[in-house]
Amino acid sequence: MERRDFLQKPILAGAVIAAATLPYGFSRLLAPRGETGAAARRRNVLRPPGALKDANAFTAACIGCGVCGEVCPPRCIQFHARDGGGAVNTPVIVAAEKACTLCGKCMEACPTEALTPTPRDRIDMGVAEIERTACYPWVDRGICGACVSICPLGAKAISFKLWNQYRPIIRSGCIGCGLCVEVCPHPSKPIWIAKRQLGAKGYRHG
Amino acid sequence: MHMPSHRPFVLRRHLNKARWFTLSLVFALLVALPFVHLYQTYAAAHAYDLLSPSERQIYDVMEALTGPFTDDPAADLDAIKGNTWSATFWSLKVSDPLAPLGQMAAGLSVPSLSFNWPFVITALIPVILTIVFGRFFCGWICPATLIYELNSNLAAWLRWAGINVGNRHLDRRIKYAVLGAGLIGSMVTGSVLVAGIYPPAIIGREIYYAVALGGFGAGAVFFLATLLFDLLVARRGFCRTICPGGALYALLGRYRLLRIQRTVEDCNDCAKCNAVCEFGLDPLRDGFGQECNNCTACMAICPTDALTFNLRLADLAAQGPGHLGKRYRRQHEPIIDEAA
Repeated sequence: MERRDFLQKPILAGAVIAAATLPYGFSRLLAPRGETGAAARRRNVLRPPGALKDANAFTAACIGCGVCGEVCPPRCIQFHARDGGGAVNTPVIVAAEKACTLCGKCMEACPTEALTPTPRDRIDMGVAEIERTACYPWVDRGICGACVSICPLGAKAISFKLWNQYRPIIRSGCIGCGLCVEVCPHPSKPIWIAKRQLGAKGYRHG
Repeated sequence: MHMPSHRPFVLRRHLNKARWFTLSLVFALLVALPFVHLYQTYAAAHAYDLLSPSERQIYDVMEALTGPFTDDPAADLDAIKGNTWSATFWSLKVSDPLAPLGQMAAGLSVPSLSFNWPFVITALIPVILTIVFGRFFCGWICPATLIYELNSNLAAWLRWAGINVGNRHLDRRIKYAVLGAGLIGSMVTGSVLVAGIYPPAIIGREIYYAVALGGFGAGAVFFLATLLFDLLVARRGFCRTICPGGALYALLGRYRLLRIQRTVEDCNDCAKCNAVCEFGLDPLRDGFGQECNNCTACMAICPTDALTFNLRLADLAAQGPGHLGKRYRRQHEPIIDEAA
C-alpha cells in the first residue's frame, strides 16, 4: 500500500506537469514550418511601434496581456496564435490588412518594457521597400501615388522621383508604419516593410 | 450564553454574496471591455455609416451605455483597460504578481534585457493585499473562479442525478512544482510560458480575441480542459493542486494577517463548513492553512456563526470538538452533572 502510494504520487505529479506543458507543445507542433499560404500573406508581420529591437528580448519581455491591442484605435494589433511558436500571444501588426497609424497609445499602455514610449521619428518598425518591376507607375501602367499621399511622415520618408511625378521612392526617414502597404492598390503588394537590421538601404534596385 | 434565536444581523454572513457580486462584476467587465474597445474604434473612425448592421448594434448599445458618462469615447473610455493579468485604471497599472515573476524568468535567457522596475512595481498593490488577505484573489477576483464554482455546482447536480464525478485527492504541493516548472520553462524558452497555463491570464485574453479579433485561441482549449479536469478528476482540482498563480498567492499569503477562525464555543460540529469549502479545507478542525482564500463561504453557511475573521499571523491550533456539539457534551457531561 505504501509502496503503491510512493510510486503513484510522482507519476501523477509528472503526468500533471506534462499535461500543463501541452498547449505550448501543441503550438510548437502545429506551427507552420515555412512561409506557405497564410504565412506568406503575413510576410509583413511587424511588431508594434516602440518594440524592443532584439526579437528574443521582445518575446521575453512581453507578458501577453493584450492591452496594446485593446487600446489600438485602428485595431491593427493582432496576436500570434500557433503561427507564433514560442512567441504565442505576442502582438503583431499585419500591415497589408491593417496598418499602424502611429498614435502611440500601445506604447503608453504597455505595462512592460516590451513597448517603450518612443518619439515618432525614433520609432523603427522597419523600412519600406518597393518592387519596381510591379509598382504601377514604375512599369508605366498608369499613375498612382497612394503610398506617397498616405504617408504620415511626408517627404522625408517617401516621395516621388524628381523627373517622374508618380514613381515613389523611399527616403531615409521611413519608420515602417506600413500605411503605404495597406493602401497599395496592387494585388501583389509591390511595397512591403523590411527589417532595417537586415541591411536594407531603404529602397531596392538602385 | 449562546442564543441562536436572538442572533443579531451579522454582516460577515453576507460577505459570500458580496464575493459573488465581485466575481460577476469582474467577469462582466472582462466581457464588456472588448466591446468598449470596438465602440471606441468605430467612434474614432467617424464611420457609423460604413458599419455593418451587427457593428451598428454594438455601436448603439455601447453609445447608450456610455453616453451619459462621456462625450469623447475614443479618449475617455481608455480609463479602464486590460484584464486580470495586467490592467490600467486611470493610468495606474496593476499586474498579477506572476507576470513580473514570469517575465524575470524569461528574461534570464536574454542578456540584453535589463531588470525593469516600473513593471515590477505594478504588482506591488496585489502583493501587499495578498500578504494581508492571503489568496483573496483566487476567491474574490479571479474570473476563472466564477466559472469553476459554477462547474462545481454542475458537478453537484450530476452527483445528485446519480452520475459519478471525480473526487480524487491530489497532493496540494503539485502546484508549487507546476509554478517551478513554469518558471524554469519560461527561462529555457525565453517567453513568458506561465501565462499560457494560468486561467486568469487566459480568460481576459481569450474573451478579447473572441470579441475583437474574431475567434478563440489555444488558451480556450486549455481552459476547457481544466474545467473537465475539475469535473472528472477532482473538485476544484485545478485551483487547488495545479494553478501556478494560486501557488504563488498561497506562498505570499502564508503569513496573512486576516484569517478565518473557528470560535470553538459556538461550534456545533455540523461540518457544513467542510462540505461547502471549495478548496476542501477543514474549518471544522481549524485546518485552514495557506490554501484558504478567505472566500467566506463557510462563514455564510455556518448555522451558529462560529466562523469569524481574526487578525493573526497563524491559524489557531486544533481546538477540539465544538462546545455545542454532541461529542463535547458527552465528554463534559459528568462535570456538568457535578455542577448541577
